[in-house]
Amino acid sequence: LPASLGRGCLGRWLLATRAWALLGTGAGSCSCLRWRHQPPLLLRAARQSIGTQAGGLKAAKPGGDSKDVSVQRALNEETLVSAAQKVKEAGRDFTYFIVVLVGIGVTGGLFYVIFKELFSSSSPNKIYGDALEKCRSHPEIIGVFGDSIKGYGEATRRGRRQHVSHIEYIKDGLKHMRLKFYIEGTESGKQGTVHVEVKENLETGRFKVRYIFVDVETYPRRTIVIEDNR
Amino acid sequence: MEEYAREPCPWRIVDDCGGAFTMGAIGGGIFQAIKGFRNSPVGVNHRLRGSLTAIKTRAPQLGGSFAVWGGLFSMIDCSMVRMRGKEDPWNSITSGALTGAILAARNGPVAMVGSAAMGGILLALIEGAGILLTRFASTQFPNGKEPAEDVS
Repeated sequence: LPASLGRGCLGRWLLATRAWALLGTGAGSCSCLRWRHQPPLLLRAARQSIGTQAGGLKAAKPGGDSKDVSVQRALNEETLVSAAQKVKEAGRDFTYFIVVLVGIGVTGGLFYVIFKELFSSSSPNKIYGDALEKCRSHPEIIGVFGDSIKGYGEATRRGRRQHVSHIEYIKDGLKHMRLKFYIEGTESGKQGTVHVEVKENLETGRFKVRYIFVDVETYPRRTIVIEDNR
Repeated sequence: MEEYAREPCPWRIVDDCGGAFTMGAIGGGIFQAIKGFRNSPVGVNHRLRGSLTAIKTRAPQLGGSFAVWGGLFSMIDCSMVRMRGKEDPWNSITSGALTGAILAARNGPVAMVGSAAMGGILLALIEGAGILLTRFASTQFPNGKEPAEDVS
């Protein structure tokens, strides 16, 4: 007991400097106020909890090591890791939990979007792919454009042309979608615009093609009809 | 459609490489400035010199690795576009996976697979964000329907 008293007096002076240093972080402020009114026996617990808390803060670990150490020491002496600190820890954990949840939500949403775009059969990209395949195997198109036909959509700022312009609308209770993309062949400078319309088929739930036709940008303008199911 | 006088694809590689280098250099510069500032002895002169040294050594390294990633990704992307003849989100995802795999080639096949998965997933997320943004932006202008039925 006298040893702890002696250490308490020295500890009080040490606490003064360290507590004032910690005043900026705010964590030491409540402990700074606390140690003034305590018997010296409890000073040791306070000092150790402040010390480890300071170490935990400086290491920027959200309560991992410092919480373990301060809990152990507090079990030995009186439980002086006060309610204020516990609430702070809980608040910090809760904030991190919310951040993690938000991150998972955003990532999940993005994954859902990309899966729906790439794998569902009613996405504009899939319809564009099917229409392009039909264009490629049509003899008249091959005759006009050449053998290897490239397809692309609207040009964005950087020059990537991935976005296919499409419009969805509902007519007579069924979903229709109109697409427009461009094709280009190896024949020099020949460009064409492909217009596709699909209608939702209620039995299978998939889209059925209503028409596909190609506008060739020559003079006079030529229109090649690939499919017409109107 | 005649906005680009030449095919964007070959020139896009240089564009992407430079853009990635700039991003890496500036981001790395800021980060290293703060880090060098903090890890220097007390005194503003010491700290400024420390942060300047950190920027000079580390920022070009980060910029270089970003540039390699960007340039390789764009090269593979353009090659796939040329091969497939179609511009798709699939191109970007596969390019990301292949870039990750190639850049981890020194560490053996297992590391390549892991790196490829990470690159592919990262690019899938970026593509998803891009698609979301374009859809969002295009639904800002509701058009109703256009019954412009062309006669064949």
